[in-house]
Amino acid sequence: MKSLINRLTEQFKVSLEKQTKSDLCFIRVNKDDAEQLIRHCRDHESYTHLSFLTAIDRIEDNKFTLTYLLHNYQSHQSLGVHVELDRENPVMHSLHRLWGQMATYQRELKEIYGIEFPGSPRLNDEFFLEGWDQIPPMRKEFSTVEFCEERFPIREGRQSTDAKQTMKVEIYPGRGE
Amino acid sequence: MPKMKLKDIISPFYVWQRSFEKPYTNNKPIDERPGAPSYRGFHVNDIEKCVGCGTCETICMNNAIDMVPVENLTAQVGDSGLRPRFDYGRCCWCALCVDICTTSSLRMSNEYAWVTDNPDDFRFTPGVDEKPWDDHPLGYRRDPDYSLLKLERPAMTMLSAEEGLNSFDEVVHGFTPEQAIVEASRCVECNICVATCPAHMNIPGYIKTIREQDFEQGLRLLYETNPFSSTCGRICTHRCEDDCVISHLGKPLAIRWLKRYITDQIPAEKYQQILQHKITENGKKVAIVGAGPGGLSAAYFLRLKGYQVSVYESAEKAGGMLRYGVPTYRLPDDALDKDIDYILSLGVSIHYQTTVGKEIDFQVLYDENDAVFFSTGLNVPSGLRIKGEDHPRVLSGLQVLCDVASQRDPGVGKKVAVIGGGNVAMDAARVCRRIGAEVTILYRRRIEDMPADPEEIEEAQAEKCKFVTQAIPGLIEKAKSLKQVVIQWGEAEMVADDNGGRPRPVLQEDKMHTDSYDCIISAIGQAGNYSFLPEDIKQQLVSQRGKFTVSNHQQTSNTKVFIGGDIANKTADAISAIADGQNAAIGIDEVLSLGMGTK
Repeated sequence: MKSLINRLTEQFKVSLEKQTKSDLCFIRVNKDDAEQLIRHCRDHESYTHLSFLTAIDRIEDNKFTLTYLLHNYQSHQSLGVHVELDRENPVMHSLHRLWGQMATYQRELKEIYGIEFPGSPRLNDEFFLEGWDQIPPMRKEFSTVEFCEERFPIREGRQSTDAKQTMKVEIYPGRGE
Repeated sequence: MPKMKLKDIISPFYVWQRSFEKPYTNNKPIDERPGAPSYRGFHVNDIEKCVGCGTCETICMNNAIDMVPVENLTAQVGDSGLRPRFDYGRCCWCALCVDICTTSSLRMSNEYAWVTDNPDDFRFTPGVDEKPWDDHPLGYRRDPDYSLLKLERPAMTMLSAEEGLNSFDEVVHGFTPEQAIVEASRCVECNICVATCPAHMNIPGYIKTIREQDFEQGLRLLYETNPFSSTCGRICTHRCEDDCVISHLGKPLAIRWLKRYITDQIPAEKYQQILQHKITENGKKVAIVGAGPGGLSAAYFLRLKGYQVSVYESAEKAGGMLRYGVPTYRLPDDALDKDIDYILSLGVSIHYQTTVGKEIDFQVLYDENDAVFFSTGLNVPSGLRIKGEDHPRVLSGLQVLCDVASQRDPGVGKKVAVIGGGNVAMDAARVCRRIGAEVTILYRRRIEDMPADPEEIEEAQAEKCKFVTQAIPGLIEKAKSLKQVVIQWGEAEMVADDNGGRPRPVLQEDKMHTDSYDCIISAIGQAGNYSFLPEDIKQQLVSQRGKFTVSNHQQTSNTKVFIGGDIANKTADAISAIADGQNAAIGIDEVLSLGMGTK
């Protein structure tokens, strides 16, 4: 895949992030250059298939990373394109014109991370969460435990036992205060 | 009514011909379709491997896990005896519990179909409640190359063996602030170690204060159970680390060094202001014999309860074995004094160079006080029990250590043999190396049988003490020079013990050696000295295998007499003595203030 990376770096501002397998590598590109790069890969490098679009919440860096995974059916190689977004204002160009199904992925990311893709069809329609009134649930500051505790009562009869107390009673009763 | 055609009657029967074709739908019962090899299906737990640390319960983001007692499983050190019970009504199969499992006992099978009409069935304890998928070989397990737990310890900066040999400076430097936080964040707060610590210190609690950088709170937590934290942070036998759950897959937390880190952050003059101990006198008096860790720990806890405490110590300074038996490269005097000074600052009165039985009678202490605690330690060296051992060039390890601690020349010469495999033997050897002697350690068993702490053995080896193992001393003789001594020793063969005990060394009489040394240091063990006890009290005390029998709170059958430390506990280390001191204070308080009898 080295020659592909070489070709891409000649034409675009991209950097190789890592090659995780012989048939899979990841590159990074600026948000504004992403569409041109991905279109080029689709039309001129035979990466005709969009395997998926997903996001990673890097709360510690105050960033989201988008991953577009493209596949080349001729060489059976995959190319991951990473795009970094500001976490405070996560907006990405909609790439639904490249692949129709991109709109569905974008709609999903809007719902679960709150990432905006202006112009993407049906972006604000509910995806799989019905009547969601919380912050997007895949954002790391969303506390699943708190949400569960609030919404779903603990089943009757459930009880947990404290290890420290159990060990005190069973191993060293009467020692210490 | 419209006329019905023949076709209309026959056509429904046409579909019957389909009965002979292969159906498009699946057969019922549904054909078995196994999950993918690493599918996250139903949980499996190897309950022999699991130690009930509850880390799975803590990480579960849906509160789907409870730790529950299990039949035929009781708590023991290193294992809470509890096991995780899953509520599949809440589980989302995220597998965080598997990823964080400290023993990797928990995994998932690739089974995903489970039908029952009773919703309570979906609460189950994997490994305890038998399930058809228990033996499924496939399913999700943690990627061995990836761990949510941090398994490695930051490397401690230490003096090199060469640097160490040139001085009595402390070998271990202690953690830097960065290292301390990294190390403290490895703790999963399972509390398993608390049961192992003889003083049952709140270990996860004080480690947390390091993460939060609240050392004052850390110090307060340490002083709840241990007034010798600066000392224990250096020389504790740290059995807690043996049972640290992280040790199942990685290096246990450096609990001892984290404790030291907290005490190192706070200067001695701030202790009073931070700990804020307020004492309300209760008018009762307790005498303590021996100012070692046991005696001073009892003094500290009794003083906090308002007792007037008098400590009697035969040596010039307090600390007992910590001062006279532990060399300064392991425990510098100022680290020990920091602890002792704080205890004494609470108003404990101490009588130095006052040997009970000589300068003052035990009977007087007994009569003039409401209770007596003694923790006099094992300070009489055991003899080698071989011919010629009364040779003047045969020294005791304890004496050598005591001389060096008191800045006297132990007069060991340049070529020394140390006999023994415990900490006293290692320290005597390392002290001799520091004063320029060549040292050979003779031990009757193998290195792995040595009772000394592993790091003491490693450091002694690094400092080029020569280890001769499976060596049994036979005879000590005069040498030509009065400044030397000759020892005959024989090689031993390890013979398996038929009763299942550890292998025994058996002398091979055809493999004898004769060597001469400037001195032989005997360090094969110590015994107690009870000559200070009046006969009638001695008779009331029960002992077994050289140790006094006491209650949970260190009380003897004489309700006024309490005993602790090496002469009462099996483990014979500083932290056990400290724990005994605390428990004696509880016991004395029960008798004197709460009017409770023997417990």
